[in-house]
Amino acid sequence: MELPTSFFGWVAFLLDKYGMLFLQGALFTIVIALTGTVIGFLIGLLVAILRTVPVGAKDSRVKRIGLKALSVILSVYIEVFRGTPMIVQAMVIYYGTMQLGLRMPVLAAAIFIVSINTGAYMAEIIRGGIISVDKGQKEAATAIGMTHWQSMIHVVLPQAVRNIMPSIGNEFVVNIKDSSVLNVISVNELFFMSKSAAGTYLRYFEVFFITACIYLVLTFTVTRLLRVLERKMDGKVNYTIYGSQSDSQASIKLVKEGEVPID
Amino acid sequence: MIDAAAPILSVEHLKKSFGDHEVLKDISFSVSQGDVVSIIGSSGSGKSTLLRCVNFLEEPTAGEIRFHGKNAETEWPKAEYHAKVGMVFQSFNLFNNMSVLKNCMSGQLRVLHRNPKEAEEKALFFLEKVGMSPYRDARPAQLSGGQKQRVAIARALAMDPEVLLFDEPTSALDPEMVGEVLGVMRGLAQSGLTMLVVTHEMAFARDVSKRVIFMDSGVIAEDNTPEEIFTSPKQQRTRAFLSRILEK
Repeated sequence: MELPTSFFGWVAFLLDKYGMLFLQGALFTIVIALTGTVIGFLIGLLVAILRTVPVGAKDSRVKRIGLKALSVILSVYIEVFRGTPMIVQAMVIYYGTMQLGLRMPVLAAAIFIVSINTGAYMAEIIRGGIISVDKGQKEAATAIGMTHWQSMIHVVLPQAVRNIMPSIGNEFVVNIKDSSVLNVISVNELFFMSKSAAGTYLRYFEVFFITACIYLVLTFTVTRLLRVLERKMDGKVNYTIYGSQSDSQASIKLVKEGEVPID
Repeated sequence: MIDAAAPILSVEHLKKSFGDHEVLKDISFSVSQGDVVSIIGSSGSGKSTLLRCVNFLEEPTAGEIRFHGKNAETEWPKAEYHAKVGMVFQSFNLFNNMSVLKNCMSGQLRVLHRNPKEAEEKALFFLEKVGMSPYRDARPAQLSGGQKQRVAIARALAMDPEVLLFDEPTSALDPEMVGEVLGVMRGLAQSGLTMLVVTHEMAFARDVSKRVIFMDSGVIAEDNTPEEIFTSPKQQRTRAFLSRILEK
């Protein structure tokens, strides 16, 4: 078999030979990044809601101590997972559970690691989002009789999430790229697949040029889609005014036929 | 049996401190059914804090609030008390993520568990009353201050409250919009709703309310009918405040 001699010749050759491999890798990367971001977002929401439960001096001892303990645990979680590299977390969690006799399917392990890592970042991003919402919104919800959960779910979080959409998008893009570190636990994501493809003919430059292009296409598409979603969240720019514009200050002038209204 | 003379709401020996700063010093008064009470006084006299304590947006340091004779904090379910004692804020605080109609429905749905159809009818009824039903699909950001405050009043009314608290409802409005909000409040006062109004609008206090409470540095300095307060105030500090305000 004749091997190509030019750079683009190699690119075409490798694409032809390993197209399915790249495609499968890209698919795994998207699945891991998307699921990880969504689950991480949910973890972040939960942590943020729990960390903002108001505690008054008149609450019971049990509630106060319970919330304090919970808050300490959540802070530890955030600090540990933000403060260590995901690649190390992957090793510790995957091989750690294996030594304990728990053999996680490798894709499940990958999603678990990305989710729990993203959750720690999201908790802080969402906390920032909650702070960005005017505190009058929470007060109005409380004054109308809503509980902490109700006011968070129906009033504060929808606004907070809208405000932090750009950061959530960032986190998603980071996950697409950083899931590449999971090759250390041999999950079939894009980087791992590329490494296998490059090894056969020892064409690292050409293979990883293709890989870079695929990552770029993925992240670019995701960024655009998120912009569309943001615009959708903003709602309609226009609204319909129903009936006559009977403002409380509007006055109605009665004019007889043939008469000219006097202003 | 409901005793007509029994107060609907009473504040007993209420104290509130922020750190070392004592904002409210032993406040007691009561409000009867249908009373319209204006609370006046200079900035920093504790008027707004008092109102916020009545609604537990601030936790009182001491004393209690009684609603229909029962302790509002311990003997009333929190949600029920808040539904019956509504609040209108200086800065409107409409839910920014909802349309005008949804603003007036969400409390009914989440707190009173009304069905959506009933909640919508009720919301539209009160929006109509404040002249805002044509704007039911608008978002708060698309309304003027006066319109927002009228929606906020409709939102509070849709909960069928027995008492409405107003925290300087016209202070954040352009002068030309004050009238439309006061007009709505005047109508409510005439309809027999019990109202507690912290205000700088002396005309409203004088002409609409049945009682005026003058607060000064955390205490009730004078509590009387508007005629007495505005024509023959008993206290020197009431006179001083009124002359400062009315001179303008």
